[in-house]
Amino acid sequence: MSVGGAAGGAPSAYDPKKLRMYGLVGSVVGIYLGSILNTAFDTNAFSFIGAIAAIFAVVMGANAVRRVCAYGIGTGVPSIGMLALGMGIIAVMFGLSVAESLGFGLLGPIITVVYAGVFGYIIGVIANRVIKFNIPVMEEGNADLSMAGALAILGWSFAISGTLGYADIVNDVLMTGYIAIIFIAGGLAILHPFNACLGPDEKQDRTLVNAVMCAGIAMITTGIAALMTQGLGAGLLQLVIGFAIWFYFFMMYYRLVKRDASAVVGTGLLPPTVQ
Amino acid sequence: MNFDVTIVYILEILVGGLLVGIGVHFVPVGGAPAAMAQASGIGTGTVQLAAGSGLTGLLAAGLMMSVTDNIWIILASGAVGAGIMIGSTMLTGSWIYAYAVGVPPASAKVNYDPITGFSQPPYVAPGTVGQGIPTICFVSGLIGGMMGGLGGAMIYYPLYLINGNAALSAMFAIGIFLVNAVIASWNIQGTIEGFHDPKFKKWPFAFKACAIASILLALASVLITGGA
Repeated sequence: MSVGGAAGGAPSAYDPKKLRMYGLVGSVVGIYLGSILNTAFDTNAFSFIGAIAAIFAVVMGANAVRRVCAYGIGTGVPSIGMLALGMGIIAVMFGLSVAESLGFGLLGPIITVVYAGVFGYIIGVIANRVIKFNIPVMEEGNADLSMAGALAILGWSFAISGTLGYADIVNDVLMTGYIAIIFIAGGLAILHPFNACLGPDEKQDRTLVNAVMCAGIAMITTGIAALMTQGLGAGLLQLVIGFAIWFYFFMMYYRLVKRDASAVVGTGLLPPTVQ
Repeated sequence: MNFDVTIVYILEILVGGLLVGIGVHFVPVGGAPAAMAQASGIGTGTVQLAAGSGLTGLLAAGLMMSVTDNIWIILASGAVGAGIMIGSTMLTGSWIYAYAVGVPPASAKVNYDPITGFSQPPYVAPGTVGQGIPTICFVSGLIGGMMGGLGGAMIYYPLYLINGNAALSAMFAIGIFLVNAVIASWNIQGTIEGFHDPKFKKWPFAFKACAIASILLALASVLITGGA
Protein backbone atom coordinates (compact mmCIF):
# COMPACT_ATOMS: atom_id res chain seq x y z
CA MET A 1 0.00 0.00 0.00
CA SER A 2 1.61 3.27 -1.05
CA VAL A 3 -0.43 5.55 1.19
CA GLY A 4 1.54 5.97 4.40
CA GLY A 5 4.53 8.25 3.88
CA ALA A 6 7.05 8.38 6.72
CA ALA A 7 7.96 11.36 8.93
CA GLY A 8 11.35 13.10 9.17
CA GLY A 9 10.86 16.26 7.15
CA ALA A 10 7.42 14.69 6.91
CA PRO A 11 6.89 13.46 3.36
CA SER A 12 3.25 12.58 3.26
CA ALA A 13 0.63 10.93 1.14
CA TYR A 14 -1.96 13.58 1.88
CA ASP A 15 -0.85 17.08 0.98
CA PRO A 16 -0.89 19.42 4.01
CA LYS A 17 -2.46 22.20 1.92
CA LYS A 18 -5.37 19.94 0.99
CA LEU A 19 -5.77 18.76 4.57
CA ARG A 20 -5.78 22.38 5.72
CA MET A 21 -8.48 23.27 3.19
CA TYR A 22 -10.62 20.29 4.19
CA GLY A 23 -10.05 21.04 7.87
CA LEU A 24 -10.96 24.71 7.67
CA VAL A 25 -13.86 24.41 5.27
CA GLY A 26 -15.21 21.23 6.84
CA SER A 27 -15.25 22.54 10.38
CA VAL A 28 -16.46 26.09 9.64
CA VAL A 29 -19.22 24.81 7.34
CA GLY A 30 -20.13 22.11 9.85
CA ILE A 31 -20.42 24.54 12.75
CA TYR A 32 -22.58 26.90 10.68
CA LEU A 33 -24.68 24.03 9.34
CA GLY A 34 -25.39 22.74 12.84
CA SER A 35 -26.21 26.21 14.08
CA ILE A 36 -28.53 27.00 11.15
CA LEU A 37 -30.32 23.62 11.35
CA ASN A 38 -30.76 24.00 15.10
CA THR A 39 -32.27 27.47 14.67
CA ALA A 40 -34.40 26.58 11.63
CA PHE A 41 -36.06 23.55 13.23
CA ASP A 42 -36.05 25.08 16.71
CA THR A 43 -34.41 22.00 18.22
CA ASN A 44 -31.00 20.97 19.48
CA ALA A 45 -30.89 17.56 17.82
CA PHE A 46 -28.33 18.81 15.31
CA SER A 47 -25.76 19.80 17.92
CA PHE A 48 -23.80 16.62 17.14
CA ILE A 49 -22.77 18.23 13.83
CA GLY A 50 -20.55 20.55 15.86
CA ALA A 51 -18.62 17.58 17.24
CA ILE A 52 -18.33 16.10 13.75
CA ALA A 53 -17.06 19.46 12.46
CA ALA A 54 -14.41 19.35 15.18
CA ILE A 55 -13.07 16.10 13.70
CA PHE A 56 -12.01 17.96 10.54
CA ALA A 57 -10.16 20.49 12.67
CA VAL A 58 -8.55 17.75 14.75
CA VAL A 59 -7.22 15.98 11.66
CA MET A 60 -5.75 19.24 10.40
CA GLY A 61 -4.20 19.89 13.81
CA ALA A 62 -2.78 16.38 14.14
CA ASN A 63 -1.19 16.73 10.71
CA ALA A 64 0.35 20.08 11.76
CA VAL A 65 1.72 18.51 14.97
CA ARG A 66 3.19 15.74 12.84
CA ARG A 67 4.89 18.16 10.47
CA VAL A 68 6.36 20.41 13.16
CA CYS A 69 7.33 17.71 15.63
CA ALA A 70 9.01 15.58 12.96
CA TYR A 71 11.87 18.12 13.23
CA GLY A 72 12.19 17.52 16.98
CA ILE A 73 11.32 20.43 19.26
CA GLY A 74 13.02 19.09 22.39
CA THR A 75 10.11 19.64 24.75
CA GLY A 76 7.96 16.68 23.82
CA VAL A 77 4.89 16.57 21.63
CA PRO A 78 2.39 17.40 24.45
CA SER A 79 3.75 20.92 24.76
CA ILE A 80 2.69 21.83 21.25
CA GLY A 81 -0.78 20.33 21.73
CA MET A 82 -1.27 22.41 24.86
CA LEU A 83 -0.04 25.47 22.97
CA ALA A 84 -2.62 24.79 20.25
CA LEU A 85 -5.45 24.59 22.77
CA GLY A 86 -4.14 27.62 24.69
CA MET A 87 -4.13 29.72 21.54
CA GLY A 88 -7.44 28.18 20.52
CA ILE A 89 -9.36 29.01 23.69
CA ILE A 90 -8.27 32.65 23.53
CA ALA A 91 -9.24 32.89 19.86
CA VAL A 92 -12.67 31.35 20.50
CA MET A 93 -13.52 33.66 23.41
CA PHE A 94 -12.19 36.66 21.52
CA GLY A 95 -14.03 35.81 18.30
CA LEU A 96 -17.41 35.09 19.89
CA SER A 97 -17.23 38.06 22.26
CA VAL A 98 -16.19 40.57 19.60
CA ALA A 99 -18.82 39.28 17.15
CA GLU A 100 -21.47 39.69 19.84
CA SER A 101 -20.27 43.19 20.73
CA LEU A 102 -20.35 44.20 17.06
CA GLY A 103 -23.90 42.90 16.77
CA PHE A 104 -23.10 40.14 14.25
CA GLY A 105 -23.27 37.03 16.42
CA LEU A 106 -23.01 34.75 13.38
CA LEU A 107 -19.62 36.18 12.39
CA GLY A 108 -18.05 34.60 15.51
CA PRO A 109 -16.44 31.55 13.89
CA ILE A 110 -14.92 33.65 11.08
CA ILE A 111 -13.36 36.18 13.48
CA THR A 112 -12.13 33.25 15.58
CA VAL A 113 -10.38 31.61 12.63
CA VAL A 114 -8.80 34.85 11.43
CA TYR A 115 -7.50 35.80 14.88
CA ALA A 116 -6.24 32.24 15.49
CA GLY A 117 -4.44 32.12 12.15
CA VAL A 118 -2.74 35.48 12.57
CA PHE A 119 -1.77 34.83 16.20
CA GLY A 120 -0.47 31.33 15.42
CA TYR A 121 1.61 32.67 12.54
CA ILE A 122 3.12 35.33 14.82
CA ILE A 123 3.99 32.69 17.45
CA GLY A 124 5.67 30.71 14.66
CA VAL A 125 7.67 33.78 13.58
CA ILE A 126 8.69 34.39 17.21
CA ALA A 127 9.79 30.76 17.57
CA ASN A 128 11.94 30.93 14.45
CA ARG A 129 13.32 34.47 14.73
CA VAL A 130 13.63 35.12 18.47
CA ILE A 131 14.10 31.64 19.92
CA LYS A 132 16.02 30.55 16.78
CA PHE A 133 14.28 27.26 16.12
CA ASN A 134 14.90 27.38 12.37
CA ILE A 135 12.16 24.88 11.57
CA PRO A 136 11.00 25.73 8.03
CA VAL A 137 7.34 24.82 8.60
CA MET A 138 7.09 26.48 12.03
CA GLU A 139 5.05 29.54 10.95
CA GLU A 140 2.67 27.52 8.80
CA GLY A 141 2.44 24.74 11.35
CA ASN A 142 1.66 27.07 14.24
CA ALA A 143 -1.00 28.91 12.24
CA ASP A 144 -2.58 25.54 11.39
CA LEU A 145 -2.38 24.40 14.99
CA SER A 146 -3.88 27.56 16.34
CA MET A 147 -6.77 27.45 13.86
CA ALA A 148 -7.30 23.74 14.49
CA GLY A 149 -7.35 24.23 18.27
CA ALA A 150 -9.78 27.13 17.98
CA LEU A 151 -12.15 25.36 15.59
CA ALA A 152 -12.09 22.15 17.60
CA ILE A 153 -12.93 24.00 20.82
CA LEU A 154 -15.65 25.95 19.01
CA GLY A 155 -17.13 22.78 17.51
CA TRP A 156 -17.25 20.95 20.82
CA SER A 157 -18.54 24.02 22.64
CA PHE A 158 -21.35 24.20 20.09
CA ALA A 159 -22.00 20.48 20.55
CA ILE A 160 -22.45 21.07 24.29
CA SER A 161 -24.41 24.34 24.25
CA GLY A 162 -26.39 23.91 21.01
CA THR A 163 -26.06 27.57 19.99
CA LEU A 164 -23.30 29.88 18.89
CA GLY A 165 -24.42 32.74 21.16
CA TYR A 166 -21.57 33.99 23.33
CA ALA A 167 -23.69 34.25 26.49
CA ASP A 168 -25.02 30.70 26.01
CA ILE A 169 -21.55 29.24 25.49
CA VAL A 170 -20.25 31.09 28.55
CA ASN A 171 -23.15 29.79 30.64
CA ASP A 172 -23.32 26.21 29.33
CA VAL A 173 -19.68 25.45 28.67
CA LEU A 174 -17.52 27.75 30.78
CA MET A 175 -19.54 28.28 33.94
CA THR A 176 -20.35 24.57 34.17
CA GLY A 177 -16.67 23.62 33.83
CA TYR A 178 -17.18 21.39 30.77
CA ILE A 179 -14.54 23.55 29.09
CA ALA A 180 -11.95 21.66 31.13
CA ILE A 181 -13.10 18.36 29.59
CA ILE A 182 -12.99 19.90 26.13
CA PHE A 183 -9.55 21.26 26.87
CA ILE A 184 -8.02 17.94 27.85
CA ALA A 185 -9.98 15.65 25.50
CA GLY A 186 -9.31 18.08 22.67
CA GLY A 187 -5.66 18.44 23.56
CA LEU A 188 -5.33 14.65 23.52
CA ALA A 189 -7.05 14.40 20.14
CA ILE A 190 -4.56 16.86 18.63
CA LEU A 191 -1.33 15.88 20.38
CA HIS A 192 -1.79 12.20 21.10
CA PRO A 193 -1.80 10.79 17.54
CA PHE A 194 1.74 11.81 16.71
CA ASN A 195 2.92 11.18 20.27
CA ALA A 196 1.64 7.62 20.02
CA CYS A 197 2.83 6.86 16.49
CA LEU A 198 6.12 8.76 16.29
CA GLY A 199 9.24 6.93 15.33
CA PRO A 200 11.01 5.85 12.17
CA ASP A 201 8.02 3.77 11.06
CA GLU A 202 5.47 6.57 11.55
CA LYS A 203 2.93 6.63 8.72
CA GLN A 204 0.67 9.57 7.99
CA ASP A 205 -2.53 7.60 7.48
CA ARG A 206 -2.09 5.70 10.74
CA THR A 207 -1.49 8.94 12.68
CA LEU A 208 -4.52 10.64 11.17
CA VAL A 209 -6.80 7.66 11.76
CA ASN A 210 -5.68 7.77 15.39
CA ALA A 211 -6.68 11.46 15.44
CA VAL A 212 -10.19 10.67 14.21
CA MET A 213 -10.42 7.93 16.82
CA CYS A 214 -9.47 10.35 19.63
CA ALA A 215 -11.94 12.91 18.29
CA GLY A 216 -14.59 10.17 18.57
CA ILE A 217 -13.70 9.75 22.26
CA ALA A 218 -13.94 13.51 22.70
CA MET A 219 -17.39 13.36 21.07
CA ILE A 220 -18.48 10.74 23.60
CA THR A 221 -17.44 13.08 26.43
CA THR A 222 -19.23 16.07 24.87
CA GLY A 223 -22.27 13.79 24.49
CA ILE A 224 -22.22 13.11 28.23
CA ALA A 225 -21.96 16.85 28.87
CA ALA A 226 -24.79 17.50 26.38
CA LEU A 227 -27.01 15.11 28.36
CA MET A 228 -26.83 17.66 31.17
CA THR A 229 -27.20 20.81 29.12
CA GLN A 230 -29.52 19.82 26.24
CA GLY A 231 -31.47 16.88 27.52
CA LEU A 232 -31.67 13.18 26.74
CA GLY A 233 -32.33 13.23 22.98
CA ALA A 234 -29.50 15.45 21.78
CA GLY A 235 -27.06 13.98 24.29
CA LEU A 236 -27.76 10.34 23.49
CA LEU A 237 -27.55 10.99 19.75
CA GLN A 238 -24.07 12.47 20.25
CA LEU A 239 -23.01 9.64 22.52
CA VAL A 240 -24.08 6.98 20.04
CA ILE A 241 -22.54 8.69 17.01
CA GLY A 242 -19.34 9.35 18.96
CA PHE A 243 -19.14 5.73 20.02
CA ALA A 244 -19.73 4.55 16.44
CA ILE A 245 -16.96 6.83 15.15
CA TRP A 246 -14.59 5.69 17.86
CA PHE A 247 -15.33 2.00 17.26
CA TYR A 248 -15.04 2.16 13.47
CA PHE A 249 -11.77 4.10 13.51
CA PHE A 250 -10.36 2.03 16.35
CA MET A 251 -10.79 -1.10 14.24
CA MET A 252 -9.30 0.74 11.27
CA TYR A 253 -6.36 1.87 13.41
CA TYR A 254 -5.81 -1.67 14.63
CA ARG A 255 -5.77 -2.86 11.01
CA LEU A 256 -3.17 -0.22 10.10
CA VAL A 257 -1.06 -1.15 13.13
CA LYS A 258 -1.07 -4.77 11.98
CA ARG A 259 -0.19 -3.61 8.45
CA ASP A 260 2.83 -1.60 9.64
CA ALA A 261 4.07 -3.99 12.32
CA SER A 262 6.71 -6.48 11.30
CA ALA A 263 4.89 -9.14 13.31
CA VAL A 264 1.97 -9.31 15.74
CA VAL A 265 2.41 -11.98 18.38
CA GLY A 266 0.56 -12.75 21.59
CA THR A 267 2.59 -12.36 24.76
CA GLY A 268 0.20 -14.30 26.95
CA LEU A 269 -1.45 -13.04 30.11
CA LEU A 270 0.22 -12.15 33.38
CA PRO A 271 1.81 -14.05 35.09
CA PRO A 272 4.07 -14.96 32.17
CA THR A 273 3.24 -18.29 30.60
CA VAL A 274 5.44 -20.36 28.35
CA GLN A 275 4.30 -19.85 24.74
CA MET B 1 -14.08 51.50 28.69
CA ASN B 2 -11.69 53.79 30.55
CA PHE B 3 -8.52 54.18 28.53
CA ASP B 4 -6.07 54.72 31.41
CA VAL B 5 -7.38 51.74 33.33
CA THR B 6 -7.20 49.59 30.19
CA ILE B 7 -3.52 50.46 29.77
CA VAL B 8 -2.90 49.34 33.36
CA TYR B 9 -4.72 46.04 32.69
CA ILE B 10 -2.64 45.43 29.56
CA LEU B 11 0.56 46.12 31.49
CA GLU B 12 -0.48 43.78 34.30
CA ILE B 13 -1.15 40.96 31.83
CA LEU B 14 2.17 41.68 30.10
CA VAL B 15 4.11 41.54 33.37
CA GLY B 16 2.22 38.37 34.34
CA GLY B 17 3.15 36.71 31.04
CA LEU B 18 6.79 37.70 31.47
CA LEU B 19 6.87 36.33 35.02
CA VAL B 20 5.52 33.01 33.75
CA GLY B 21 8.07 32.92 30.92
CA ILE B 22 11.04 33.71 33.15
CA GLY B 23 9.72 31.53 35.99
CA VAL B 24 9.89 28.48 33.74
CA HIS B 25 13.66 28.98 33.52
CA PHE B 26 13.99 28.53 37.31
CA VAL B 27 12.05 25.28 37.57
CA PRO B 28 14.33 22.20 37.46
CA VAL B 29 12.69 20.44 34.51
CA GLY B 30 14.34 17.09 33.95
CA GLY B 31 12.07 15.66 31.30
CA ALA B 32 12.24 11.99 30.36
CA PRO B 33 15.93 11.53 31.41
CA ALA B 34 15.08 12.68 34.94
CA ALA B 35 12.19 10.24 35.06
CA MET B 36 14.79 7.51 34.56
CA ALA B 37 17.07 9.17 37.17
CA GLN B 38 19.69 9.98 34.53
CA ALA B 39 19.48 13.76 34.88
CA SER B 40 18.74 16.01 37.83
CA GLY B 41 15.39 17.74 38.11
CA ILE B 42 11.76 16.72 38.24
CA GLY B 43 10.94 13.90 35.86
CA THR B 44 8.35 15.50 33.63
CA GLY B 45 7.99 18.17 30.97
CA THR B 46 7.97 21.92 31.39
CA VAL B 47 4.39 22.39 30.36
CA GLN B 48 3.08 19.92 32.93
CA LEU B 49 5.09 21.55 35.70
CA ALA B 50 4.35 25.11 34.66
CA ALA B 51 0.67 24.33 34.16
CA GLY B 52 0.50 22.53 37.50
CA SER B 53 2.07 25.31 39.52
CA GLY B 54 0.32 28.01 37.52
CA LEU B 55 -3.12 26.49 37.92
CA THR B 56 -2.61 26.02 41.65
CA GLY B 57 -1.56 29.65 41.84
CA LEU B 58 -4.64 30.62 39.86
CA LEU B 59 -6.92 28.67 42.20
CA ALA B 60 -5.26 30.18 45.27
CA ALA B 61 -5.58 33.67 43.80
CA GLY B 62 -9.20 33.07 42.79
CA LEU B 63 -10.07 31.83 46.25
CA MET B 64 -8.43 34.85 47.87
CA MET B 65 -10.21 37.11 45.40
CA SER B 66 -13.58 35.87 46.62
CA VAL B 67 -12.90 37.34 50.07
CA THR B 68 -10.84 40.45 49.33
CA ASP B 69 -9.98 42.73 46.44
CA ASN B 70 -6.62 43.84 47.76
CA ILE B 71 -4.25 43.11 44.86
CA TRP B 72 -1.17 42.48 47.05
CA ILE B 73 -2.84 39.80 49.14
CA ILE B 74 -4.22 38.13 45.99
CA LEU B 75 -0.81 38.14 44.30
CA ALA B 76 0.87 36.79 47.45
CA SER B 77 -1.75 34.06 47.70
CA GLY B 78 -1.15 33.02 44.09
CA ALA B 79 2.62 32.93 44.59
CA VAL B 80 2.43 30.94 47.82
CA GLY B 81 -0.10 28.47 46.36
CA ALA B 82 2.11 27.74 43.36
CA GLY B 83 5.19 27.58 45.61
CA ILE B 84 3.54 24.98 47.84
CA MET B 85 2.54 22.91 44.83
CA ILE B 86 5.96 22.85 43.22
CA GLY B 87 7.65 22.43 46.62
CA SER B 88 5.58 19.38 47.53
CA THR B 89 6.16 17.91 44.07
CA MET B 90 9.92 18.25 44.50
CA LEU B 91 9.83 16.95 48.07
CA THR B 92 7.91 13.78 47.22
CA GLY B 93 10.00 13.43 44.07
CA SER B 94 13.13 13.52 46.23
CA TRP B 95 11.74 10.79 48.50
CA ILE B 96 11.12 8.59 45.50
CA TYR B 97 14.59 9.24 44.08
CA ALA B 98 16.24 8.65 47.46
CA TYR B 99 14.25 5.71 48.83
CA ALA B 100 12.70 3.98 45.82
CA VAL B 101 15.15 4.56 42.97
CA GLY B 102 18.07 4.72 45.40
CA VAL B 103 20.14 7.56 43.98
CA PRO B 104 21.79 10.46 45.87
CA PRO B 105 20.65 13.91 44.68
CA ALA B 106 23.54 15.43 42.74
CA SER B 107 23.99 18.03 40.04
CA ALA B 108 26.42 17.57 37.15
CA LYS B 109 26.27 21.23 36.12
CA VAL B 110 28.25 22.60 39.11
CA ASN B 111 31.19 21.19 41.11
CA TYR B 112 29.99 22.57 44.43
CA ASP B 113 26.41 23.24 45.36
CA PRO B 114 26.33 27.07 45.58
CA ILE B 115 24.03 26.97 48.62
CA THR B 116 25.28 24.09 50.77
CA GLY B 117 28.83 23.99 49.38
CA PHE B 118 28.70 20.19 49.11
CA SER B 119 30.87 18.55 46.49
CA GLN B 120 28.80 17.14 43.64
CA PRO B 121 30.95 15.13 41.14
CA PRO B 122 31.64 12.09 43.42
CA TYR B 123 27.91 11.44 43.66
CA VAL B 124 27.07 11.75 39.98
CA ALA B 125 26.69 8.25 38.56
CA PRO B 126 28.87 7.59 35.50
CA GLY B 127 27.07 8.13 32.22
CA THR B 128 24.43 10.41 33.72
CA VAL B 129 24.13 14.17 34.14
CA GLY B 130 23.17 14.07 37.78
CA GLN B 131 20.10 12.65 39.43
CA GLY B 132 17.48 13.61 41.98
CA ILE B 133 16.78 17.14 43.14
CA PRO B 134 19.81 18.70 44.93
CA THR B 135 19.37 21.72 47.22
CA ILE B 136 20.21 24.28 44.56
CA CYS B 137 17.57 22.85 42.21
CA PHE B 138 15.00 22.79 45.03
CA VAL B 139 15.57 26.45 45.89
CA SER B 140 15.56 27.45 42.24
CA GLY B 141 12.36 25.49 41.67
CA LEU B 142 10.65 27.22 44.59
CA ILE B 143 11.58 30.61 43.14
CA GLY B 144 10.33 29.54 39.70
CA GLY B 145 7.07 28.14 41.01
CA MET B 146 6.37 31.28 43.00
CA MET B 147 7.13 33.44 39.95
CA GLY B 148 4.73 31.31 37.91
CA GLY B 149 1.98 31.62 40.51
CA LEU B 150 2.56 35.34 40.83
CA GLY B 151 2.34 35.64 37.04
CA GLY B 152 -0.85 33.56 36.92
CA ALA B 153 -2.47 35.70 39.62
CA MET B 154 -1.31 38.84 37.86
CA ILE B 155 -3.01 37.68 34.65
CA TYR B 156 -6.18 36.53 36.43
CA TYR B 157 -6.69 39.70 38.50
CA PRO B 158 -7.11 42.23 35.63
CA LEU B 159 -9.10 39.70 33.57
CA TYR B 160 -11.58 39.31 36.40
CA LEU B 161 -11.87 43.07 36.72
CA ILE B 162 -12.47 43.39 32.96
CA ASN B 163 -15.20 40.78 32.51
CA GLY B 164 -16.36 39.95 36.03
CA ASN B 165 -16.73 36.26 35.18
CA ALA B 166 -14.51 33.94 37.22
CA ALA B 167 -14.76 30.88 34.93
CA LEU B 168 -14.07 32.86 31.79
CA SER B 169 -11.14 34.70 33.39
CA ALA B 170 -9.66 31.44 34.65
CA MET B 171 -9.80 29.75 31.23
CA PHE B 172 -8.41 32.83 29.54
CA ALA B 173 -5.62 33.02 32.10
CA ILE B 174 -4.83 29.33 31.49
CA GLY B 175 -4.59 30.06 27.76
CA ILE B 176 -2.19 32.98 28.29
CA PHE B 177 -0.26 30.89 30.80
CA LEU B 178 0.18 27.91 28.44
CA VAL B 179 1.31 30.05 25.50
CA ASN B 180 4.01 31.73 27.60
CA ALA B 181 5.07 28.50 29.30
CA VAL B 182 5.46 26.66 25.99
CA ILE B 183 7.46 29.49 24.40
CA ALA B 184 9.77 29.54 27.42
CA SER B 185 10.14 25.77 27.38
CA TRP B 186 11.12 25.89 23.73
CA ASN B 187 13.82 28.37 24.72
CA ILE B 188 15.39 25.96 27.21
CA GLN B 189 14.88 23.09 24.77
CA GLY B 190 13.04 20.92 27.22
CA THR B 191 15.36 20.58 30.20
CA ILE B 192 17.08 22.89 32.67
CA GLU B 193 18.38 22.52 36.23
CA GLY B 194 17.74 26.01 37.59
CA PHE B 195 19.48 29.34 37.72
CA HIS B 196 22.93 27.74 37.97
CA ASP B 197 22.45 25.95 34.64
CA PRO B 198 24.38 27.47 31.68
CA LYS B 199 21.12 27.38 29.69
CA PHE B 200 19.69 29.94 32.10
CA LYS B 201 21.72 32.62 30.30
CA LYS B 202 19.33 32.28 27.35
CA TRP B 203 16.50 33.95 29.27
CA PRO B 204 16.59 37.24 27.27
CA PHE B 205 15.30 35.36 24.21
CA ALA B 206 12.31 34.08 26.15
CA PHE B 207 11.82 37.55 27.62
CA LYS B 208 11.51 39.06 24.14
CA ALA B 209 9.33 36.27 22.79
CA CYS B 210 6.97 36.26 25.79
CA ALA B 211 6.73 40.05 25.67
CA ILE B 212 5.52 40.00 22.06
CA ALA B 213 3.09 37.13 22.66
CA SER B 214 1.74 38.61 25.93
CA ILE B 215 1.07 42.00 24.38
CA LEU B 216 -0.97 40.39 21.61
CA LEU B 217 -2.88 38.27 24.11
CA ALA B 218 -3.46 41.26 26.39
CA LEU B 219 -4.89 43.29 23.52
CA ALA B 220 -7.34 40.48 22.80
CA SER B 221 -8.27 39.98 26.44
CA VAL B 222 -9.23 43.59 27.18
CA LEU B 223 -11.78 43.38 24.36
CA ILE B 224 -13.77 40.42 25.67
CA THR B 225 -16.85 40.82 27.81
CA GLY B 226 -18.27 38.61 30.52
CA GLY B 227 -21.28 37.45 28.52
CA ALA B 228 -24.73 37.11 30.08
